Formats: sequence, C-alpha cells, structure tokens
Amino acid sequence: MNERNEPVGEITAPGPLKNSSGQVPNGKNSKWLSSLARSFKLSEGNLFLLLAIIIGIFSGLAVVCFRIAIEWVRLTLLGSALSPPHIRTVVMPVAAGLVVAFLVQRFFLAARGSGVNQTKAAVYVFDGYVPFRTVIGKFLTCSIAIGSGQSLGPEDPSLQMGAGIASALGRRLKLSRDKLRLLAPVGAAAGLAAAFNAPISAVLFVIEEVIGTWSASALGAIVLAAVSSAVVMRSFLGGEPMFRVPAYTLGHPAELLAYAVLGVVSGVLSLAFTRIILIFRPMMRALPEWTYYLQPAAAGLLIGLVGLKVPQSMGTGYPYIDQALHSEYTWQILAILGFAKILTTSLSFVSGTPGGMFAPTLFIGAMIGGSIGGLEHQFFPQVSSSVAPFALVGMGTFFAGFMRVPITSVFMVVETTGSYSIVLPVMISNTIAYLISRKYQDMALFDILAKQDNMELPSMEEQREQIVLRVEDAFRQPNSPPLQASDTLARALEVAELSTEDYLLVRFPTGRWAGMARKDLPEIMAKYPKETQLREVLSTARLPILHPDQRLDDALRFIQGHDLLPVIGRAGSRKLEGVISLPDILAAYQKAS
Amino acid sequence: MPFEPQHIVSRYLQQRVLLLSLVLLALLFVVTAALSRAYHVREEALARYWAEKGNTDSSGHKLATAFEDYRNSLFYAPGNPDVQLHLAEALLADGRLTEARSYLANLWDRAPGSGQVNLDLAKVSIQMGDPDQAVRYFRDAIVGSWDIDSSAQRRNARLQLYEYLLSNRRMDEAQAVIAGIAADTPAQNGPVHEENAHLFLRAGDPVKALAEFEVALQSDPRNSQWLSEAAQVAFEAGNYSKAETYFSRAVRVNPTDELRASLELVANILRNDPFLAGLSEEEQSRRTWSDFQTALKRLQMCTRDGANGSASAHPSTDLDALNKDAQDLQKRVNPSALGMDSDLRDEAMQFVSRIEDVTSEICGPATGVDRALKLLKKQQEGSGQ
Repeated sequence: MNERNEPVGEITAPGPLKNSSGQVPNGKNSKWLSSLARSFKLSEGNLFLLLAIIIGIFSGLAVVCFRIAIEWVRLTLLGSALSPPHIRTVVMPVAAGLVVAFLVQRFFLAARGSGVNQTKAAVYVFDGYVPFRTVIGKFLTCSIAIGSGQSLGPEDPSLQMGAGIASALGRRLKLSRDKLRLLAPVGAAAGLAAAFNAPISAVLFVIEEVIGTWSASALGAIVLAAVSSAVVMRSFLGGEPMFRVPAYTLGHPAELLAYAVLGVVSGVLSLAFTRIILIFRPMMRALPEWTYYLQPAAAGLLIGLVGLKVPQSMGTGYPYIDQALHSEYTWQILAILGFAKILTTSLSFVSGTPGGMFAPTLFIGAMIGGSIGGLEHQFFPQVSSSVAPFALVGMGTFFAGFMRVPITSVFMVVETTGSYSIVLPVMISNTIAYLISRKYQDMALFDILAKQDNMELPSMEEQREQIVLRVEDAFRQPNSPPLQASDTLARALEVAELSTEDYLLVRFPTGRWAGMARKDLPEIMAKYPKETQLREVLSTARLPILHPDQRLDDALRFIQGHDLLPVIGRAGSRKLEGVISLPDILAAYQKAS
Repeated sequence: MPFEPQHIVSRYLQQRVLLLSLVLLALLFVVTAALSRAYHVREEALARYWAEKGNTDSSGHKLATAFEDYRNSLFYAPGNPDVQLHLAEALLADGRLTEARSYLANLWDRAPGSGQVNLDLAKVSIQMGDPDQAVRYFRDAIVGSWDIDSSAQRRNARLQLYEYLLSNRRMDEAQAVIAGIAADTPAQNGPVHEENAHLFLRAGDPVKALAEFEVALQSDPRNSQWLSEAAQVAFEAGNYSKAETYFSRAVRVNPTDELRASLELVANILRNDPFLAGLSEEEQSRRTWSDFQTALKRLQMCTRDGANGSASAHPSTDLDALNKDAQDLQKRVNPSALGMDSDLRDEAMQFVSRIEDVTSEICGPATGVDRALKLLKKQQEGSGQ
C-alpha cells in the first residue's frame, strides 16, 4: 500500500500467466504454477516480509556452512588441539596468508576488511547492491584466514554475506531501489544473528551501525530475518549460549565502583586499539600494491610467532573467553592475553586480511576485564568478587568503547551468555567506556575506516544523536483568540481588524478546524450577508491539526498549502495550545542549526 | 494497473524467482544438513578422544596435560557436564581452587541437586577456608542425586563430612553424621557395621560403637576379631559384664593369652564389685570388706616399699595422709557395720579407690585384684551407660 492507501504492486494472477518469452505455459506445469501464483496474492510489503524470512533462512544456512568451513580449515591446518604444534603455528598462517592474499587480489577485491562498512556502502552508495561474488569471496577467504589462525572473527563477514545474499535475491526479484536498499540491512542482520547466535544484538547492531535509525518499515523485516536465521543456525549447531558463565550476584554495592574502574580502563584501551588500527592501516595501504600479496602472510608469520608463546591469541579465541569466564587464568596472564590479542588482531586487520573484529574485540574485552577484576580482587577483595564477572562485563565494555554501539554492547553480553543478572554492571561499565571513547575520538572506527577508503558514509553515531525538533519547539501563541463556527462574518471582520494575523482560525464544535485568510474577507463579505455564520461559509473547509509532540518534519509536510495550522493538546479538552506557520518552522530549524 | 501486460510479466518473473529460491533453499538445506552431520560426528569423535586422553592423563597424575585434554574436549562438546566435572576435579586435585570452583559453580547452576558436584564444591570450600559452606555442600551431596550406586556414594559423602567434622573437633556433629550412616547400613552387613563401630569410637561414642559391634556380630557371631573388639570397647566403656561375655566368647573362638588375661581381669572386677545389680546387702558388705582389706594390704606394702626406698621418690605426705585416714576408717569399718550402713559401704569403697589411685602413682601399676579394684571406679561411672 502506498501513502494514499492505494494498493500497489500486488501480485495477483488475473489471467493466464506468460513465460519470459511471452508465451502461455502449457500442461501440468503451467497449472501448478498458476495455482501457486494465485496463492501468492501478496502486496509488496508482505512480499518483503516473506523475502526477509527467506533471506534469514538462506543466511542462516550460509553461516552454518561458513562456520563449519572455518572449523574444517582449522582442523586441517592446525589440528584438533587448542594449542597447535609449533611448526604448524608458524607455517600455516603464513601459507594461508599467501593463498588468501592471492584470492583477494585476483578474484575478490571487495572481500577485504571486516564487511560492516561494505554493507553500509551498499545501503548508502550502491543502492543496496552487494555483488554475489563478494559473498563467495568472503566465504572462502575468511574461512581460510580465520581457520589458519589469523586473529579475526566470523561475525562481520557473516553480516556482509547475509547482505550479499539479500541483495542478490532482491535483484533477481527486480525489487524497487528503495526495497533493495532496505534488503541489505535485512540480510546483514540475518547473517550477524546466525554468526553470533544472538538475534536481538544483531538487530540492534544493524539499527545502530548500519541504518542508524529505528525505521518501522525495516524493523519488521530485520527482526524476521534475524530470528529465522538464528533458528536455522540453532537447529544445526545447537541453541546453547555462546558462553557458559557461572551465576552472578552483586555482593556489595561498592562492587559497582570496581566495574566503573573497568569502564575507564577499557575505554582508554579501546581508544588505543582504535588508534593503532587507524594509524597503521593507511600506512600498509600506502605500500606498493605488490606488497598486498605478502601482507597477510607477513601478518600470519608474526601472529604465528606470538602464537608460539600465546596460542590463545590466534583465531577467534572463543574457547579462551570461555576459560577466562571460568576464572582459569590469573590476572597477569589475562593481561598478557589481552595485549597479545590487540597485537595479533591489529596485524591481521591492517594487513587487509578478510575477517571480522567482533570476536577479537570480545576476546580483548574479556581478558582486560578479567585482568582488572583479578587485580582489584587482589587489593580490594571486599569489592571485587572474582575474575569471571569482570571478564563477562569486560567483553561488552571493550565492545562499547571500540565499536561505539552502546545498546548492542549491553544486549550482546546478556544474549551471548544468557546471564541477565549482570546487566547493571554492564550498563555502568559500558557507558563509561563509551563516553571516554566519544570524548577522545571524534569519529567512530567504522566512519574513519570509510574515510580512509575514500568513502563518505553517514555517521550512524551522529544520526542517532541528532536532535529531533518537534512542533513544541516551533509553535507560538496566536495573536487573537480563534473564531467559533457560530460567529458571524461581522464578528470575523471585527477580529480581523484587531488582529495582526493574516489568517484566522475557526473552531467547530465537533473539534474540526478551518480558517480563512484576512485578505479573502472582503470577497466573502461581498458574497454573503454580514449575519451569515462562519459554519455556512466554511462548511467544507478542514485544516489539518498538529500536536506539540509531533516531529517538525511531519509539520513541514502538513503545512504545505496552509498559512497557519492550529496546535492542539492531546488531553480531553483539545485545547488550542498555539499556532504554527511555515516561517515559524523555518525559524526553529535555523535556531537549532 | 494490475492487468497491464508488463506488470503481469514482472509478477510472473517474481514468482519464478521465488520458486527457484525455495528450490535452492531446499538444496542448500540438504547440503548444510549433510555437512553439519559430518561435522558433528567429527566433533563428537574429537570430544570423546580428548576426554579419554584426559582421563588417562589424569589417572597417570599428568594433571597439566589432563587440563589441556579436557579443555580440548570441551571445545568440541562445550556442554558436556562429565568433562566439565572431570576438568574441575583435575583442577581441584592440582589446587587450582578458583578455577575448579568456577566450573563447579557452573555445573551447580545447571544441576544444583547433583551429589558429585556438591561434594566437589564441599572440598573446594574446605580448601578455601569456608567451613560452614563446606558443611552445607556436604549435606547437599548426601541428599543429592547420584548416577551410579547412590547408597555407596552417599555413604562416601557422609564419611568425608565425618572426617572433616572430626578434624575440626566438631564431635557432636560427627556423631550425628555417623549415626545417619549406621541407620542406613543394612543389618546383615557385618563388616560395614564394624567400620561404623570404629567411626563411633573415633568420634568418642563407645556405647554406640559397642552397639554397632553387636549388630555386626549378629551376622557373624564367631568372628574372633569382632568379639575381642566388642569386648575391648565394653571394657573401655566400663561395661564389664558385657566385656566378660564377649571376652569369654572370644577366648572360646580364639584362646590367646592376652584374651585370657583380659577375661581374668574382668572376672576379678565382677567378683569384687559390691555395686553389681542384684547383690544382697550381705554380699555387698562382704565384698566391700574384702576390697577394703585388699586395699589396706596394698597401702601397707606401698608404705613399706616407700620406707625401703624402692617406691618412687614421691613425697610421703600422700601415703601418710592415707595411712592416717585408714586408721580412722578402720575404727568404723567392720563386717557388721558395713552390713547395716550402705553409706559406710560407699565411703569404704571410695577410700579403696583412693588407695588404689595413690598407690598406683607412687608404687607402680596395680596388678591382679588391685587392678580390678582400681577399675571398679570406672565400672561405677560406666554403670549408668
């Protein structure tokens, strides 16, 4: 349905269907198709929702295959033990780096990077177009890279793969440009939900980072896609939360102070991590192009060497997060793991190796969090219970500081662990880390990365925090009281002479409003006797009404063709709160800017 | 609009693409299912392999390797509670308490009624110095669920709680725990009742220990070891009549010198005890008079030895005081007076005990009837039991 409530794009089968060559299909097949088509009496909106589910299932299946592929590669290259043999630890990331670089440079150039910005670019620059080649490229190169021990995660690539699948399907269905643009985030949410086994966080992330606003038109489809992909993923890989954590209870209110300290430290470290990436990435990109073939291998070599001492810093690191959440490491070891992961992830990312930042960010956060918790426990045992809850909170905190998605970061911790009791410390710590990151780093990581790639993508952070102007910010009191429908034309003339308004509002007992321009009064007086009531003169006229809480953007739409509109309170008396005109609206915008 | 040819073609294409998508979806579903099945089979095999390796390493006391093995196994089967438990127990055995507790707490969240998890948590709490929490976990382990041989596991948990309470000198609670064990032990299981008896003895409750020996003997009345142990416990508890019964049965089954000597001692006690139930006043006064005379002889000998210097170098003030009191008492104590005055009998026997105590200290341990007289005091104390 369009804005005028006219049915648009409805798929019906009014007559015999023709195939692409214009011929009517015959026989059993054509009857079956016709019958099926008749059952597809879908509006474009409903088709979109159906598509969202199909995209969700496709993405879920693709991500399941992707995760299995990563594991197969890991088992083949590094073996089944979490700490691989030394020779494999060094050789395999190098060999895989060479293969990945070759594939990326020769066949899948768009597979570089994490995938979040590429998806945003698809929405804002390329009309929702994500080449299907990128999906294949991302699948292959990320499987090899992550499986060989590069310090990257499968989430962001899954997000891009989901967007790619959605885009391909949308193109095949020849959807409108608007719908194609919307499909990319739908697929992105599906991909992320399956990769993370966290549909709520996926929806929130896409809203916070990809589309920037809560758009009702997209929300339903995004949720459907995320849920269906998560269901598919769970049916194949199990529905257990990603991390199993012991029950948490807040022992002492002072413990919250300890989490605040964690927020400060994580905020500072997330800033440092961001800076490292932002400084070294352009440096690596500035090197001659032939080095692009070697950069992932060089990164792999260094990661392998680090991995000899700290094997936990390789790959996604999820098993070690689980161990940290079970207090298996001392705070010193946790600190070493956190810093080693910052190093290896920076190497992987700046070398252009395809892969995501979600998993490493969570790893670093968990280790730093656990380390801070352990340290605090050593010196202030009464305010810090144990390492595990700090590791748990640390995951979200570092994520909030690094990715700058505060709402997602809270829900992500809850969803990936199934622990709701931790919400309060997570909120405190995440907010602090986020604010520190905001204070000392003007733009979010993904925005700067886009700039480095010569792309001007809209800042979701700015969009989220944009001030929304409302009617109450622009309306003013009328210069004269409104006329009543029972007033006569003579009374209207009197009021017009006393008022400075060019437009007179008339209230009807039914709550309807109408109006007349002062300049039109002489003409009306010529047509009607003075005693004529205004309700007879304005019997068909109707003015739109506004409420103080309505967005000014809406007022702008309604005021077209009217000099003045009444602003009515929502309470029972429907009192006239004020009036608003186009100059009032423009003045409010001017004032706000 | 809906009937324009171009629109119809567009819709037809959309339907074809949708149908094709559904077909593709079905194909991808089949492929994914096959891949995922193969992957899960591999995962299960790897989880099993590493868990078995962990068990082997753990039993070979290669704990560091066992940790890695279990962690590898958990990577492939993250929710496997058995492996988590094994890992926690290995960590506990290595003294890595915080880590062990974390895993156990996680398991406890999922199965708060698990006996094994509660038992391990009790051990962790002990080592972390939280006795009250430890006792709570022990109690939860005792009433918790056990996968195999639940009665033996519960007994084991009780025994561990008992040992813990004993080590903390919480004797009353330990006795209560062992009473629970005894109540749950089948009557025909003699060896276990014998074990229970020893546990009661260690908890300072010989009466219940004797009762457990008696239950054990019902299943094997000619077990010489149990008979001699029961006799010894009865003897230690001052229950000489039972001691005589069991010593005599033990001598019949296994006539050793030691047992015979014990039997003779008990017989002496019983022969000389004026307070045995059922004795006539005449017999009471006769026994009292006889004991009094025997004690006086012991006093005289000890005094003489002391004068000859063969007794220990104790100050003679105790013996002097005894002799003085003996002279005073001798004036009042005679067979006819004892026969009429029960208070005098008591006074005389108390004096007998005093003589035996003091002379044992000064002139060495009593033997023969004197030893029996010395032990009579215990009989009087134990008679109420």
